[in-house]
This record gives sequence, C-alpha cells and structure tokens, in this order.
Amino acid sequence: MSAIGSGLSSALRHRRLAGVLWLSIVASALVAFLPLRSATEILDSGPFRESLVKGWDSWGVLSLLVVRRHEIGLVVAAFLGAAVFFGLLQVFLTGGTLRVLISGEPRRVFARVVAESAVLFKANLWATARFALSSLFWLGLLVVLPCAGLQKLAKHAPPHGGAATTLFWWALLGGLLVLFNTGLRFDLARIALARGDARNARGAFRVAKQRLSGRRASGIRLLLFWLALFVLVQALFTGAGLWMNPRTNGAVAMLFLFRQAGFFLLAMVRVGFWATLLAWEERRRANYSVMGRASGGATWNASAPISASAPASAFPETGSSVTTNGSALLSS
Amino acid sequence: MKTRLVCLFAALFFTAPAAALDRPRKIVDYSIEVSLDQDRKTVDGRETLKWTNPSDVPVAELRFHLYWNAFRNDRSTFFKESGGHLRDDEADTEKGWGYTDVTSMKWDGDELVKGARFESPDDGNPDDRTVLVVPLPRPVAPGETATLAITWKAKVPKVYARAGYVRDFFMFGQWFPQIGVYEPKGRRRRTDSGWNCHQYHANSEFYADWGDYRVRITLPEKFVVGSAGALVDSKRAGGLKTLTYEQKSIHNFAFTADPRYLVVEDVFDPAKDIPAGEIARASRTLGRSEADLLAGFRKVAIRLYLQPDHRAFDRRHIEAQKWALAWTGLWAFPYPYAQISIVDTPEDGTGATGMEYETIYTTLSLKWMSHWPFTRLFVPETVTIHEFTHGYWMGLLASNEFEESWMDEGINTFTEMVMVDRKYGAYVVVPPGIGITSEESNRVSALTQDHDPILADSWKYATENSYGRNSYPQPGITIQQIRNLLGEETFWRAFRGYAERWRFDHPTSEDFFDAMRAPGNSHVAALIPKTWYGRGWLDFSILDVSTRPDDGFTGFDDADKPVNFDPDPKKKPKKKPDEKKHKGPWQSLVVASRDGDIELPADIVLTFKDGQTVKRTWDGASGWIKYRVTSSSPLVKAEVDPEHRTVLDRNPWNNAKVTKEYEGPSAARKARVYGFHLVQILLSSLWAIL
Repeated sequence: MSAIGSGLSSALRHRRLAGVLWLSIVASALVAFLPLRSATEILDSGPFRESLVKGWDSWGVLSLLVVRRHEIGLVVAAFLGAAVFFGLLQVFLTGGTLRVLISGEPRRVFARVVAESAVLFKANLWATARFALSSLFWLGLLVVLPCAGLQKLAKHAPPHGGAATTLFWWALLGGLLVLFNTGLRFDLARIALARGDARNARGAFRVAKQRLSGRRASGIRLLLFWLALFVLVQALFTGAGLWMNPRTNGAVAMLFLFRQAGFFLLAMVRVGFWATLLAWEERRRANYSVMGRASGGATWNASAPISASAPASAFPETGSSVTTNGSALLSS
Repeated sequence: MKTRLVCLFAALFFTAPAAALDRPRKIVDYSIEVSLDQDRKTVDGRETLKWTNPSDVPVAELRFHLYWNAFRNDRSTFFKESGGHLRDDEADTEKGWGYTDVTSMKWDGDELVKGARFESPDDGNPDDRTVLVVPLPRPVAPGETATLAITWKAKVPKVYARAGYVRDFFMFGQWFPQIGVYEPKGRRRRTDSGWNCHQYHANSEFYADWGDYRVRITLPEKFVVGSAGALVDSKRAGGLKTLTYEQKSIHNFAFTADPRYLVVEDVFDPAKDIPAGEIARASRTLGRSEADLLAGFRKVAIRLYLQPDHRAFDRRHIEAQKWALAWTGLWAFPYPYAQISIVDTPEDGTGATGMEYETIYTTLSLKWMSHWPFTRLFVPETVTIHEFTHGYWMGLLASNEFEESWMDEGINTFTEMVMVDRKYGAYVVVPPGIGITSEESNRVSALTQDHDPILADSWKYATENSYGRNSYPQPGITIQQIRNLLGEETFWRAFRGYAERWRFDHPTSEDFFDAMRAPGNSHVAALIPKTWYGRGWLDFSILDVSTRPDDGFTGFDDADKPVNFDPDPKKKPKKKPDEKKHKGPWQSLVVASRDGDIELPADIVLTFKDGQTVKRTWDGASGWIKYRVTSSSPLVKAEVDPEHRTVLDRNPWNNAKVTKEYEGPSAARKARVYGFHLVQILLSSLWAIL
C-alpha cells in the first residue's frame, strides 16, 4: 500500500483520534466564545435583527464595527488568545497523536493521547521552537535577503517589471518551499521523538535530516497532497455554510452541526497526513537503519498496519522499549 | 398657502436661473513655453500673461502662486504641515526637493522681480516661498489688461503630493507661476475688492481665474504627453519634440509625460452611452422633457494614458468615465469641453494619484485589483468617477478650495456616492457577494465625534483627519440628509438649479445653502448652521418599551368597593393569569429620544404580535416623546427611523427595542455560530503549520 493509501486508511480507522483533534478545535474556539457572545447580544435588540436573520446587512455590520468597536476589539483579542491556546494544544497533542498512530490501536484513545502527549510535551515544545527559529533563519537567508537585494537593484525600475515579478514569485514560491522543507523536517523530528529515535529535539532534527536526505521532493509531494485535500474540505464546508444562510433557530442549529462535521473531516485529514508521513518515514527508516537491520531491529512494511512495527509507547502494556529500534541507536 | 407660494417662487427661480453664465469671464490669458531636462529634472519656462483687472479699483501690486516652492525645503508651510507625508506617499528628503524661481518679470519694459517679495498671508511663516508679491511701477487701472513677460526655472520635485516625478513619469500640476485671484467687490460675496492668494498648504487645493491657455512643451521624443488642452501643433528635431496645446475657458493647465504610456482612445457618444433608464429617471425627477435634457450633450473624446502593467483596467476606466459623463450631464449640465484625459499613475507614484485638473485628471489602478477575488473592488472606477466629477465642482463651478474645500470635495463625494451605487450597486464586493455601498462607506464618518465644523479654511482643521472628514464624507452625508428631507424631486431640482446657476462662476457655500433653503424646508434651514458652521450631531434611540395585559379596572372604585381583588388579608391573593393566554387588550409604552443639538423629524413604527404596524411621525423638536398604546395584540417592537433616512444618526444600533413578546429567530445566535465557525476555520488553518 502506498504511503497515501496507508494515510487514507488510517484516517478512516482512527476516527476516535480525529475526534480528539476535533475536540481540541472546539475547546480552543470556546476561549473566544464569551466575548463573542457579549458583543453579539445587541443584535437581538437592535434594529437590524430581521435583516441579519435574512442575510447580510452591510450598514448594520459596518455601523456595528464602529459603534461597538471596544467589544469588537475584545472579540479580536479573544480570537488571538484562542489561536495561542490552540497552538500550544497542538504542540502538546502531536506527540500523543503520533504514539497512538504508531501503536495502531484505535480505541481508548483520549486518555492515551493525553498521557503520551504529557511525556513528549517538553521535547515537542523545544522542537517547535527549533522549527520557528530554523524557519526564520532560512526564510531570512533564502527569501528576505535575496528579495531585499533584488529590490535594491531594481529600486528605479517601474512597478511590475521583470524584477518585481521575479521578486514576487521568489518571495511566494521560495517562501513556501522553505516552509515546506522546514515544516517537513519539523514533522519528521516529532515522529522521531514519538518513535523514540531521539531523546531530545536536537537529536530528533538530526534524525529528520537523515530521513529527508535525497527524498525531499517525495516528502513535499505528500505534504502537498494532504494540504490540497485540507483546503478542499475547508473550502467546501465554508462555502456550503455560507450558502445555507439559516433563517430559523432550528436551521442555525443544523448549520452548527453541519460545520462541526466539516471540522471533524479536517481532523481526519490531519490524522491521515500523520499516518502517511509515518508510513513514508518507515520506508526511509529501512534505508538508513543499517544497524537496525544488522541487529535484527524491526522495520515496518508499509502495507502492513502501522501497529505491526510500532516500537514506542509510554504505556507499559503496549510493548517494546524506545531503545529497541536500530535507527534510534543510530541517531542517539 | 404662504409655503406654497414660496415653493412656487423657488421652482420658478430654479428653472430659470437669474444670472447663469454661458461662458466664463475671461480674466487671464497664458501663453507658455516650457522645456524639460529629463535627466536633471529641471524646467525652463517663459510665459506671457495677460491679466485684466476685473474690479473697479486700481491694483498696485500683483500676487503669484509659486506652488512648487512648497517642496523647496523643510521650512515651507506645506512641509511643516504635512511632515513630508501626504496622500500615502513619503517625501524624498534626500534628492526629492523642488522649487520655482522667477528670474524675470517685465511689464512695459520694467523689470519687476527686483522689488518682489515673498509673503505668508495665512501663517506668517517667514520661510515660505509660495506667494510672491510683485509691486508695480504704476497701478493697473480697472478693466485694463496688463501683459507680463515672465521667465522662470524650476526643479521638479520627487512626487509625494500631486505634482512631480518618479523615474521618468512626470506630472505637471500647479507648475508655472500662476497669478492669484483679484476678487472684485461682490465676487463670492466680498464687500471690498482684494487679492485672494493663499499659501500652498498640505490640506489645501486651489483657486484661480478663468482664461485661455496656449502651452508649448519641449521634451525628449520618447515621451508620450497628455495634457489639459487639444494638441494643435507638433514638431520634432534633434531627438526632441515640441508639442503645442490650447484650451479655452479653464482656470489651470496640467500635463503629464511618460515614455511608457499606452494611449487608449474612445468617444463618449450621447446617443449610445447615456442609459435610457437614467434619462427617463432624470426627466421624471427634474420635470424636464428628455429632449430638453439631451439638448446640450455633445460627443467627447476620451484619452486614457495607461501604465503598461495596468492594461486590464482600460475598459473599467473608460466605462466609468462614460457613465460619469452621462450622469453629470443629466443631473447637473452637459460637459462643455471636447475632450477629457485620464492619467493612470504608476504604483510607485501614488502621491500623484487621484488628483483633479481641468479636462485632465489622475486616476488609480492597482494591479492586484485586476485578479480574482479583487475584481469587484470598484475602487479604480470610483476614483475615475470622483476625479472626473471634480471637473464640475472644482472646475466648472470654480469654488475656492483654500477656504471652502467641502464645496469641491463634499459635493463631489455626494455625487460619487449616487453614481457609484447606481452604476455598480456597491463600492466594494468581496466573495461570497458581501458588498458595501459607497454611501455606507461614507456614512461611517457620522458615527464618531467630530472636532470641527464642515466649513473652515483648509489649513485650520484640528488634524489632517478632521480636514478629510469635514471636506469629504461629512458634507457628502449632510447633503444626502438634505436630499432625504426635501424628497427626490425637490432636491434634484434645487441641485441642478445650483449647478446651472453657478456654471463658469465662483460660488460660495452660502450660494449652495440658498439653493437648498429655497424650497422652504425649515429642517434644512435649521440643519445648515448646525453642521456647516457647527459640530452638530444627533442620536435617535428607543429608551424604553414595554407591553402588558390590560386586565381592566383593579383596585377600589369611587364607592370604596374592591374590584378585581380581595382586600381580605387572610385570603390568598388570586393567582396571576398566564400572560401567554391573555386575549387582550394590551397596554404598551414606548419612549423615544433624540440626543444632540440637531433637530430632525423621524418616523416611529410600532409592530404588534399579530403583524400590524402603527407609524407616527415625530418632529424631533423635544428631547423625547412617549407613546401609550392600547391594542388587541401585544407590542413586540418599537423602532425610530426604520428606513434609516436620518443618515446623520450617530448610533443606529439603539434605534429599536423589542419586548419579551417578540418571538422571531435570533440574529445573535446566528452571528455567534458564524463567529464560532470563523474561529474554528482560523484555528484549523494553523494545522498547516503546526
């Protein structure tokens, strides 16, 4: 089975895990709910109630943004707070999510995700900081510096000329390429931590580098596939949600449920992405686990369930120790 | 009866303007020769100015605007006021300075420059060089024409405020020594004759006399030139070309040069380009026959000087231009010139963008607006409409923008709102079809506290923002308020009457007010001093609303007999009847309020549970009004100004209140669900990174 096929199959199998990720979005969004509730109370007593129930009232919305700007400011601040909370929660949950996928056991997920995440949180936090720094460094070196240089050279050139166009596309595509690369290495580093191939972020990034060596394009292709699927699901559900434009309280409740289904699907996409990357990494592991092979260390056949070769778990009853894997020996 | 007579008089007055001019009074005649050194960004110029003293008193000195001295150094009034930042552009304080130096000025063989001096009539700034005062060896007699031979040299500033260069794009606006306006007694309600020649301020534009221009421009052959006039002669020699332009009956002359321009030519043909529906609407509203309205229209040549990276905008600007020619022709008067030139400025020269001159103006194109999902941001169209229509409220009705900036910008904002919203339905539309109208985008200004009246000298507002607010949206919205008070027919007849009366002339604020007051609406008359001369505001609101079952008489009657209750303290009081089962009647109370010092009438609409509505018109004279209503159905909602006709209302969100009997679906719940989803969309997008 291909890595993507393995990911799709895991996305369907690990619905409970997707449920945990969906819950993390709901919980984070709740941070913004109270200010949102307070700022929107006026909608039911004001003159725009009927028109807003029917759809868009441009004057109603525009004037609300001005006359209730303090409340709107609070809502925006709450949005930012929710984003920070969600970011930390994802850094926390990724370790547990990967461990559950590696174990291949789709049940009793919530408690395991939390417990495994707690074990890996510190290392994952460092890995995130390392990812942020390396992204900034490479963006600065490969995107900002060349762009600034080109901008200086083309200072007296007309707008949208050859230099400006090159600059724009270099900034966009170069920036994306850098982020894909650093992002992929970050993801593989977290996999290394979850598998126990490394004990800290530094070692994990070293393992990730080995995994990526010579196969970056293949890794980025996988990433793009799941990104495209993610954007598609997001666009479809957002478009449908706007199109629904509910006009009764019952229809509003239906909209809420419908959109949650959409976010659940996105969570499944997230699970599928991780499973795909695990499968892909497993094949790379075979190439580099010389010591592993020599010492008879387990390597995972991508067509087999992930659990068949998953070596690591913080739960004693799930099996093997983190140090039994050959590649772990190689990197640590 | 008296009111009717006033209205009849007003109607007669507007349909037959008493002193409208067929052509402007010619005061100046310029014949200018100018050559551009493209590399050094310098200009050498010669001009022959014929100036006629329009007053009945002799004039002993002349006054000239040297506008480019605003960019001479950081001591100029313009630079001090702007801080080197204006129109979303920054001054280049290393190499971008510019100036105008008059090297010679002769009258009848006498050199006048030696005795000339700079004055700063507005702020006394000793370092400002934008007003040159030239004493004369003898006064110019009333009606006499003085012919002056002037030579000057100038350095073109790097553009950040209207005129200047960026790379090899040049915009020449207010670029030559231009004589100020000597206003005779009676002009613009003056009580005595005198000069009106202000310094160049960051927040001011211009004012000049009417006349004829003949301009000969010499510059490298590669340049494409667009100008205010018609090209009458062209010669080429030694890699240079000399182009001669002429234009009669204007009060300024601007031109542009850029080797990269693509020239798009089109013709406005009244027979094809005026929408039939708009002609019918104008005819009906103005009470004139369609033939009468179309009589003055003529074909107009349109030339669009487009930047090569803005090709996608050509039809957008041309269509907007044609619509503006059609609309202004119907609702003001037909455009009298043979051509109009639209200059599309480069995106690194935004300081030159969106500026009006006569028969030529600069518009805005931003390349990103040519790509989905931004193609329905009608900003380029709006700028084209806005800048062209300046040609009416600044150009053809030549108001004094130094002293009454609202007369140009404010009236123009009002007409822009009408034109943009009628043509495009919205000012901006973003996916999935969410739009905001031009009127709404301007109405926002009425929602916040103001620091100045509308009417003030342009450099005397508290801040640049206050100048902007009181020159553009605030007067635009206040005129819209007048329109709502007068009604469509009365307003547009008064509006067109104003335009026709003051065409080719110099109106003042009071001339506009006279036109608006003439129909005899007392609210309009009261509104003008509160807004143009004061910082008036108002806020309608529903203070209180309640409804309860009317159980009839309860208590002791005149014979001390208990009715509907048992006075025995030992007995349990009767259980209160369930309000939901109450069949009626109902007693309701509504209190509406008007805060602020502007008094305007408003409708108050009471809506009952059975769907019936009751409308009452409140004159708004008192601070509040209370309604007690007995009805067969409970009151569910009370709303003041439900049609949002009071566009000056500072807070529309307190204009309604509902009672507990209201059972409609919740807008708040819907907004919360969409808001919650928005947060979830943003959060889930972080998965792409984390």
